[in-house]
Amino acid sequence: MTNRDEAMISPKFGNVPKLSARRRQGRLAVAADGWRRWWPYYVMMAPGILFFLVFHYLPIWEARIAFEQVRIVPPNIWVGIKHFQVLFSSPVFWQVLANTLIISAMKMVFFLPVPIIVALLLNEVRGGSLRKFIQSAIYLPHFLSWVVIAGIFIAALSPTDGAVNNLLGMAGMAPRSFMTDTGAIRWVLVFTEIWRSAGWDSLLYLAAIIAIDQQLYDAAEIDGANRWQKIRHVTLPGIVPTIATLFILNAGMFLNADLNQVINLSNDVVRSKIDIVDTYVYRIGLQTGEYSLATAAGLFKAVLGTMMIVIAHFVSKRLTGKGVW
Amino acid sequence: MLRKMVLLASTALALSLGAVAPTMAEPIKIRVVSKDFTPSNPDDVKHLQRIEDALRAQGTDLDIELVDLPSSGYADKLSVMLLSGDIPDLIYFQGGDAKMVEQGVLEDLGPMLAETKYLKDALWPHNVERLKNYPYLLYVYPVRGPQPVIRKDWLEKTGLKAPETVEDYVTLFKAIKDGDLDGNGVADSYGVTTADNTNELDSIFNQAFGITGTWMKNPAGEWVHSRTTAQEKDKIAFYASLREQGLYDPEYITTKFDVKEDKFYTGRAGVIFGSSGEVIDIYGGKMRQVHPGAELVLLPPPKGPGGQGLAAVDVSKESRGLAISTVSEHKAEVMKLLDFMASPDGQMFDRLGFEGQEYTKDGDSYKVTDKIATWYARFMVAANWTPPVVWQSEAAQQSLATIQKDFKPDNTFVWPADYAADLDATENVYRSWVYKFISGAAKMDQWDQYVAEWEAAGGKRLNDYARTVIDAEK
Repeated sequence: MTNRDEAMISPKFGNVPKLSARRRQGRLAVAADGWRRWWPYYVMMAPGILFFLVFHYLPIWEARIAFEQVRIVPPNIWVGIKHFQVLFSSPVFWQVLANTLIISAMKMVFFLPVPIIVALLLNEVRGGSLRKFIQSAIYLPHFLSWVVIAGIFIAALSPTDGAVNNLLGMAGMAPRSFMTDTGAIRWVLVFTEIWRSAGWDSLLYLAAIIAIDQQLYDAAEIDGANRWQKIRHVTLPGIVPTIATLFILNAGMFLNADLNQVINLSNDVVRSKIDIVDTYVYRIGLQTGEYSLATAAGLFKAVLGTMMIVIAHFVSKRLTGKGVW
Repeated sequence: MLRKMVLLASTALALSLGAVAPTMAEPIKIRVVSKDFTPSNPDDVKHLQRIEDALRAQGTDLDIELVDLPSSGYADKLSVMLLSGDIPDLIYFQGGDAKMVEQGVLEDLGPMLAETKYLKDALWPHNVERLKNYPYLLYVYPVRGPQPVIRKDWLEKTGLKAPETVEDYVTLFKAIKDGDLDGNGVADSYGVTTADNTNELDSIFNQAFGITGTWMKNPAGEWVHSRTTAQEKDKIAFYASLREQGLYDPEYITTKFDVKEDKFYTGRAGVIFGSSGEVIDIYGGKMRQVHPGAELVLLPPPKGPGGQGLAAVDVSKESRGLAISTVSEHKAEVMKLLDFMASPDGQMFDRLGFEGQEYTKDGDSYKVTDKIATWYARFMVAANWTPPVVWQSEAAQQSLATIQKDFKPDNTFVWPADYAADLDATENVYRSWVYKFISGAAKMDQWDQYVAEWEAAGGKRLNDYARTVIDAEK
């Protein structure tokens, strides 16, 4: 607010209400004008807004059952933080939380660079049809369900007749049962995630690369930069905002270690190593009917996720100058 | 005159309306939610229509509405539906019922069941036991339990007769492994495979190794979980020896049900287990698609050092079944529907399908068509009703006869919710160690280490509680 504005709304000016009303009318006129001009866009936005309201914001209110004892026949009974106390005193919950953090961290560290590298490599492929073929081939796994992917990898990693162990055997190495090895199973999760999603995720980075001004490359070329130097000094800095944004958004989903993936790749031997918050919530909530306890676990995870977004935002702001707000 | 005519006409109208009023009364609407029984299946709709007609002829006018709940992930979707406050009159559960009982949402079926004309006599022995312990679920079907099958031509190729002892089974598995029965030039078939865990093997080897129930007395005379006994140790050592000799599929733990079947049909495994006569017939049908003319033979439970028979059956409660909601306003009508389904007319509908479609009738002679293979009872298979025609294979019929002959109730019970975490943790410890023993990652002399870990994971609490329950029952 400027000094002039403050002076005008000061009590010594008798015409303040008049001016304020005029301003309000002005704003309304601007809004009406905006609506007349942009209404098709607002209409197009409406389903999206409705979707987020119904499926993302209204459920926040329903999360109150974390503080209640749910009754199938209402009313629910208010129990305060009882479910959180039960949760935090359970060694199983801390184990699944630790598993979730470890698996998510592994995925973030090892997965994040892969689509960037894939996008950079795709950008360097000169043949148009070859590039399209590679793109299609690496996007394909994204459309497979985890049931199918689990079937493929269980067969490929079989210690008796799996392709991977056959290759290891040709290299003179002993076969290894990856799917029942508690030391290997988390890596199987990371690798299958990369196999499934890296190609698809590279799309965003590829779009960001394509948007970089061609003149920057031309200038680098004139300066004598080779391909690697152009990638390092033009392409990578050009996609930093995209990397930062996706990193922050991924941080928000840091604790979503993927329920479907874990359920399909799990077995009795490795369950203790890959039992995550989502599988715990599914088991406790839907299978044993402890809805309040499961909601408490889910709410705790959501709070941690929000904290991760905020932290990631400030870290990114400090390191790259870019954030989500 | 006009007044008289008006009075006459209005009286006649009133009388006629009064006469038709009872026949125009709205039928009683009941809502049913069940798996593989949906309004989107025309057969289900037709089936329900003729049930309504038959009931109406008996004086019970019902309008039965089926809730359209997908079969995939049924238990989860049902749970969400009930949580949202949508509670049908008749509900089929596949787990998740205990929480509903805890909240008083499911009716005690005992008193209503006693009043029925047909249903009370249609129960199987295990139903009666389970209803005594947990009177909220009704699942009138023969008891289910895995039983082993082999291709008849394979058994003949081995030159062996059906195994009678544990040693006979080892001999058969060796003959399958070494005999190259699939003729691919490599001796690469496993004698037996199972899905996910060793439960299927347990169904025939538990009794053979002396594991008579979930709770057994240790040498000190105390009740302990059978999974920590010397008999269990001997059984697991036997499984480990099968794996070591290449007779038991080492990848059983990552083998899902579809993969298990695939291994059977493609000859990678000689013996698999079917959980009921229907399942065995499905295996037979699929096997014939791959190997025309192939037949399956049921193998009996073997005699061993500890005895013989199929594993004891859990009678603590039905693990699935139909329940009536306490908030239903038409409980008596729902029970009438169930009672009708247990009657000869209801069973004829539910078990044989439609005349001209699943079966044909010529006088008193019945013949089933190919479509009978895809028909299944939507409500129940009454113990006291025999269909006028038999269509199951010999192996399927034998499996039903064996499981009824061998029926032994287990001494397990329903656990209070407080023990859920202990049950979960001990189950994980057991499964994980069993795989380690079988795969060779752990030696059998580490058994005490396993027992200590099992007890520390909550097993001791389970043992203590079980003693109070079993001793109290005695």
